[in-house]
Formats: sequence, C-alpha cells, structure tokens
Amino acid sequence: MALNLQYEAIGKGFVQQYYALFDDPTQRPNLVNMYNIESSFMTFEGVQLQGSVKIMEKLNGLSFQKINRIITAVDSQPMFDGGVLINVLGRLQADDDPPHAFSQVFCLKPLGNSFYVQHDLFRLGIHDTA
Amino acid sequence: MEYDYLIKFLALGDSGVGKTSFLCQYCDGMFNQRFISTVGIDFREKRLLHQSNGRNNRIHLQLWDTAGQERFRSLTTAFYRDAMGFLLLFDLTNEQSFLEIVNWIEQLRVHAYCECPDVVICGNKADLDEKRVITEWRAKDLAEKHGYEYFETSAANGQNIHGAVQSLLNRVMIRMETAVDKAMLPGRRGRAKHDSEVNLNVPLQQKCSC
Repeated sequence: MALNLQYEAIGKGFVQQYYALFDDPTQRPNLVNMYNIESSFMTFEGVQLQGSVKIMEKLNGLSFQKINRIITAVDSQPMFDGGVLINVLGRLQADDDPPHAFSQVFCLKPLGNSFYVQHDLFRLGIHDTA
Repeated sequence: MEYDYLIKFLALGDSGVGKTSFLCQYCDGMFNQRFISTVGIDFREKRLLHQSNGRNNRIHLQLWDTAGQERFRSLTTAFYRDAMGFLLLFDLTNEQSFLEIVNWIEQLRVHAYCECPDVVICGNKADLDEKRVITEWRAKDLAEKHGYEYFETSAANGQNIHGAVQSLLNRVMIRMETAVDKAMLPGRRGRAKHDSEVNLNVPLQQKCSC
C-alpha cells in the first residue's frame, strides 16, 4: 500500500475528534469505535492492554469527569502500510486538579476508507526527580 | 533556618476526600507551586517545636500532596520516598472512599520504608453531618484493627486538623527516639544509602506485626 499523503490533515483531524470524545464524560464510551476488538494495543501509564473491551474498561474506570486540554503540538508521519503515526504533546486538567503535561502516540491503521487505532501509548509528564 | 529534624509526611486517600484542603487548612494556605509541574508533587511546610523527654526539638515539617495523578495511575516510588508518616484520609460522606482505606494501607505496606509505618486515619468532612454515611465507631473499629489512631476532621472548619497531625508527629518522634540507629532514619543527616541497611523493626507500643 502507498503512503497516504494526507497524513498531516488526518493526524490533526483524528486528534481533534478523539479528544472531543475523550474529554466529555457522556461521549467517552463512543471511543470504543476507534479501537479494534482484537488488534488494538494500548499502553496507559505503563499498563498494557489489548482489544477494545479491555481498553474501554480502563478508560471508563478513570475517576475524573471532565478534562480540559491544551494541545501544544501534533506531529504526524505517513506509514508504508497507508497508516499514520501521530505524536501529541499537550497539557490536561482533570476536573479541578492541577494541570499536567502529557504525551500520547497513536498509530492509525487503514480500514476501508477509514482508520482504526492500532497502537495508543499515553503518559503523564511526571518525573521521578525534580 | 536551623532545625533538628526534617520530617516528611504524605497525605493519601481517594480523589476528592479533601487532602489538599486538609493540608491547606493546616498550613494556612501556603504551598510550593514550582514543584508540581515536574514531579506531580505539591508540598507545604511548617516549622514547629516538639517536646519530648523535657527536650525541645525544632521540627521542619514537610507535607506532601499529589497533583491528582493517582487518577491516571497508581502512585509510585518517587512519591513515597523518604516519607516518615502518613495521613490517610477518607470522606465521611463517601462510602467508597472509606472502603478504599484498606487498599491504601496495602499500598503503604508495599511502598513505604517499612511494613508498618506510622499512620493516622482521618474521616474528613465531619462538618457535613447530614450527609455522613460512615459512623464514628465503624471507622474507629477499622483503625484499631490496624493499630492506627482515628480522627474525625473537617478541612472546612479546622476540626481536629492540628490534633491529627500532632498525633502523627508524636508517633514518628517516638520511632525516631527508639530506633536502633537514628542516623539511619530518613530525614536525619547521613541517612542510610540502601533500604536494606535500615532496621526499623524496633519494638513500639503498636498493635501491628513488626
């Protein structure tokens, strides 16, 4: 499969759509449609999960309601299977907690004329030393 | 500023139980914003005098609080490192936060410097009496089972806030003074390089296993 030259627009569009669902507690369950039941992987703060069921269990188990988010940068690259690799850098605020930096990597896999999230890696920007 | 002991306490408990408000009330609102962004830890400081055996010790107390990252993951080593006492809070109006106390005690056993660290349990939001779902005897019973003291506190009106911290400080100071080698305790100058060198299994008047 050829490189998808729309990778920049796909990356930006996906990130906007993904966080619009994630950050609204009533919409969050709809994220299930972004993942494959078997072949999606997530690493959330070091916890490894496979498949949309496990992934949604994790996301629905998070104890905050609303998220406020500021995206600093979205970097995308086309992949040789027609997919798109995306790295997001930003800050988020869960309910009234202090804001945290975060980074998230998505790998979108083509499926028909759309995509699903094959890989998703999330980390808060918190370090072991000051 | 000179001091005799640097003592570090951690506030633990579920999100929303009032840890930050509790520490804020105790320290008159002062906090250290610089620290939050890199390690996700906010700490407040207080100077006080502690009397024991007729001696006055100048205490520099650091109270550590999270920046809410426990909602994304479990708290790891960096947060627990060098802490000598633990304020374990739950919300008297929230059953789940009380049930989670047992898990927090388990977490402490894994991550703290020894298997039975000094802890006080605080049932917070005692001012919201009409919303209370946890009775005092139920909480006391749980605390006693683990050999910890229990306080009903209110970060809103200050009830028992100082009493709870003072009680924890007393426990920690007893441990400091009865430890085999004081130089090996965290917070004391020249502390041990490896955890394995620290022997804190000294007999204390506590109803727990060590």
